[in-house]
Amino acid sequence: MSEDLDKLISDAVEKALQGDMDVINNIEDRVTRSKAKAALVKAKRLAKAAIAEDAPKPEESKAVEALPAELSLTEKVSAVIAKKFPNTIESDEENSHIQMKGKNWFEIAQYLRDNPDFLFDSLQCVTGYDFGENEDLEVRYNLHSMTHNHAIEIRIKTDRNDPKVPSVEKVWRIGDWFERETYDMYGIVFEGHSNMTRILCPEDWEGWPLRKDYEVQETYHGIVVPKVKDGWE
Amino acid sequence: MTVDNLINWFPFGTEWPVLTFVTAVIICALPVFLFIAVYALVAIYAELKISSFMQDKVGPMGQGVGLHAWKFGILQPVADALKLILKEDIIPDLADKKLFVMAPFVVFVGAFISFAALPFGQNIIIADMNIGIFYILAVGSLSVIGIILAGWSSNNKWSLYGGMRSAAQIISYEIPAGLSIISIVMLTGTLSMQGIIEFQSGTIWGVLPNWIIFNNPFSFIAFFIFFISGVAECNRTPFDIPEAESELVAGAFTEYSGMRYAFFFLSEYAEMFVISAIAVTAFLGGWNSPISGFMNSSGWGVFWFMLKSLSLIFLMIWFRWTLPRLRVDQLMSICWKVFLPFSLVNIFGVGIWSLLVG
Amino acid sequence: MGVIHGDLMTLNIGPQHPSTHGVLRLKVKTDGEIISEVEPIIGYLHRCFEKHCENVTYDQVIPYTDRCDYIASMNNNFGYAVTIEALMEIKVPERVEYIRIIVAELNRIASHLLALGTYGLDVGAFTPFLYMFRDRERILDLFETLCGARLLYNYIWVGGLSHDLPRDFVESVFSFLDYFEPKIEEYNELLTYNKIFIERTADIGVLPPEVAISFGVTGPNLRGSGVKWDIRKDDPYSIYDKFDYDIPIGAGEMGTVGDCWDRYYVRMVEMKESAKIIRQALKGLPAGDVHQALPKKIRPPKGSIYKRTESPRGDLAYYIVSDGSPIPYRLKMRSPAFTALSVLGEISQGWMMSDVIAILGSLDIVLGEIDR
Repeated sequence: MSEDLDKLISDAVEKALQGDMDVINNIEDRVTRSKAKAALVKAKRLAKAAIAEDAPKPEESKAVEALPAELSLTEKVSAVIAKKFPNTIESDEENSHIQMKGKNWFEIAQYLRDNPDFLFDSLQCVTGYDFGENEDLEVRYNLHSMTHNHAIEIRIKTDRNDPKVPSVEKVWRIGDWFERETYDMYGIVFEGHSNMTRILCPEDWEGWPLRKDYEVQETYHGIVVPKVKDGWE
Repeated sequence: MTVDNLINWFPFGTEWPVLTFVTAVIICALPVFLFIAVYALVAIYAELKISSFMQDKVGPMGQGVGLHAWKFGILQPVADALKLILKEDIIPDLADKKLFVMAPFVVFVGAFISFAALPFGQNIIIADMNIGIFYILAVGSLSVIGIILAGWSSNNKWSLYGGMRSAAQIISYEIPAGLSIISIVMLTGTLSMQGIIEFQSGTIWGVLPNWIIFNNPFSFIAFFIFFISGVAECNRTPFDIPEAESELVAGAFTEYSGMRYAFFFLSEYAEMFVISAIAVTAFLGGWNSPISGFMNSSGWGVFWFMLKSLSLIFLMIWFRWTLPRLRVDQLMSICWKVFLPFSLVNIFGVGIWSLLVG
Repeated sequence: MGVIHGDLMTLNIGPQHPSTHGVLRLKVKTDGEIISEVEPIIGYLHRCFEKHCENVTYDQVIPYTDRCDYIASMNNNFGYAVTIEALMEIKVPERVEYIRIIVAELNRIASHLLALGTYGLDVGAFTPFLYMFRDRERILDLFETLCGARLLYNYIWVGGLSHDLPRDFVESVFSFLDYFEPKIEEYNELLTYNKIFIERTADIGVLPPEVAISFGVTGPNLRGSGVKWDIRKDDPYSIYDKFDYDIPIGAGEMGTVGDCWDRYYVRMVEMKESAKIIRQALKGLPAGDVHQALPKKIRPPKGSIYKRTESPRGDLAYYIVSDGSPIPYRLKMRSPAFTALSVLGEISQGWMMSDVIAILGSLDIVLGEIDR
């Protein structure tokens, strides 16, 4: 009985790896189905690990080791990125974060996630930022590694009139909602995002509420919108 | 006190047979209706109080003004019923109005006409049919039609879900319930409710009452199969998936309000009583006293019958406030994979038992 | 035998629905009872928290944080206060730290009680809900004596507290704990090890650790998936490193690691651990003045900070940018329930309608915090 089950599960997992999820979803017994799903996840993980083992070339790992040990993590990451992806670091004046250009951000994000020295497997927070009226917008990413327990902050500036940043939705799945929220509040378009729509405000809301020059629309579907008061008295 | 007696008793019975029949039916139906109404009020109050005690609260205690302010909130269910009657009767715009209006009454009729064959006492039965238990099983499933009607006619996805779930559930559980009754019929050799009860008078070895539940191991199991299936047929927790307020809002009854909703409510309680009464009749000796010869007159019969039925209803209430709800597929697999094989084995077992022992 | 596929039915669970824990709308595509797609639609409770914060002074933000996660307001206050203190480099008195931890852990118990109780309600068990509310009520009573409010406390201020502990507070917390700890066994008997409850939750909605991390799921949900991650231990703030307690993780006791039962049970054990912390903190509570370090005017230096704390729902973080004025230039709240809800669509595909409700309940979301 259990051998049959094992075979059923392994067959289903194989089919699912080839992209046919129906086999798993059609398993009638719930426990078996969940076991099959768990096995599928495991198989995917193994496959990913195998890819990851192949991916990092030896000189890259050495690139981190070669850096002086007294450098902070931010500086190390910044140095490694500068070497691997030239012309992407904008400035490294401040030690608290890495200021980057938007181009190649998707590849860099993938690299940061998969590099065994950093393993930033968790995107903690995406914050939109407005420098003020008629100035640039910025997106700030707080990355964190569960394995190494370290964190960095990455900032990417973008033009106010045509705000575009590559999406990292496919690198960290939570990027999906965080980017939608940032789009909702600042109007920053994340290129490559699968569903770039408003998330908290209604779909037909006008303007980008957290920009400093935001003016509340007068009415929404005939309802008068109360103004935000200046200051508090 | 049956319909037949009543018809014979009328002096003009032969002259206007239709009129006589209708009058007799109305005379019998009115007390039943009153009984259900009063019993439902008592049961609702009991449910409120019992659930409150189980949940470490006090329940209705007579707060505020009006009917429910009376001693210990005894009139709380009356106030609730009045409120439901006085409420606006809302029929959704896109509902199928005829079916929508009809549904609660179909459900109620199913529960109501079952009462005709319930033996409350030695002589207190409205129609002592020779196929009494068969009749109850047959009309008892009528309510499922009402629930499907309610689910379909509301034109609401939740209601539809509730209706479909309820149909699947009630029809499935009819089978183990019916099969366990069949094993009883095999034992007693009669389909008449009174006949089944009379079979159970006396004692086993002079100690145990000669109830069918104690008759043999198979009928002992049959009782549990019947009772659990019965709880499932009443749509009570842990089998309340047609209502499932955390999933389906209120299932088939989502769009109902006021009086119509009250009828669903009433039929749920009536059905609980019918299921308990059948279980008492078929397994627990009906109106027979638990101690042979002790308070065993026909008057006390009503007392014993009610006591036993109400204890089973208490058990149902206890289930409801203790257990979580099953999922729909688990419910079905219990029915088809556990209860059905067991009840089939039971029939076989009872047959062999009556060959060898009986 | 082929499978016949009919059309899928689109069903809106919510915004008004008994078990969406607030005003959440789930747009689900169903194939009979089977759910083939779930899309959470949020924003019904959006109150422009971040925009409000850009218009009020730093101390006026605290009542707003209360209203984000209204189930665990103390923890929200705590996180905010810790963040601003780190930005301003304020050292708060020892007594304040102890009291903060006592109230935060009490609030964690209250929050978990609500989460577990309503979870019981989601799977159809009514009675455990009332038992847990009865005990949560005692904590709320304690908070009422503490700061007058039962839900929205505004108690933990930047640099201190709004009030010192009232008379007899320590004794009443001790007596509450003596009463409460045995009650956990009662819940376990009534709900946790109930056969039907296990059937409904074990092996359901398995959240594998990689998926959880990729979706940024934190707190009890992540620990339920078997990842030992708790900000209190791994990135300690306040004085959490002084106490001795364990971080429970899901072990797949009843099914697969990361199923609904594990997420539920982690919360159950966490209440015990919180009680442990409270006992230690009550014993070590030093004397002192809780208003001593309150700044006259909160005017943090220019700069930005991202600081995480462990709320009952996971990593609660504030990203605060100060331009040197008494009003925050930018305040972003990283809400743990937001990330927890985003994973729902991923893990509830292919389960049944009732399972989706069970999975949603096991994630323990608070819409006030998701929509902000």
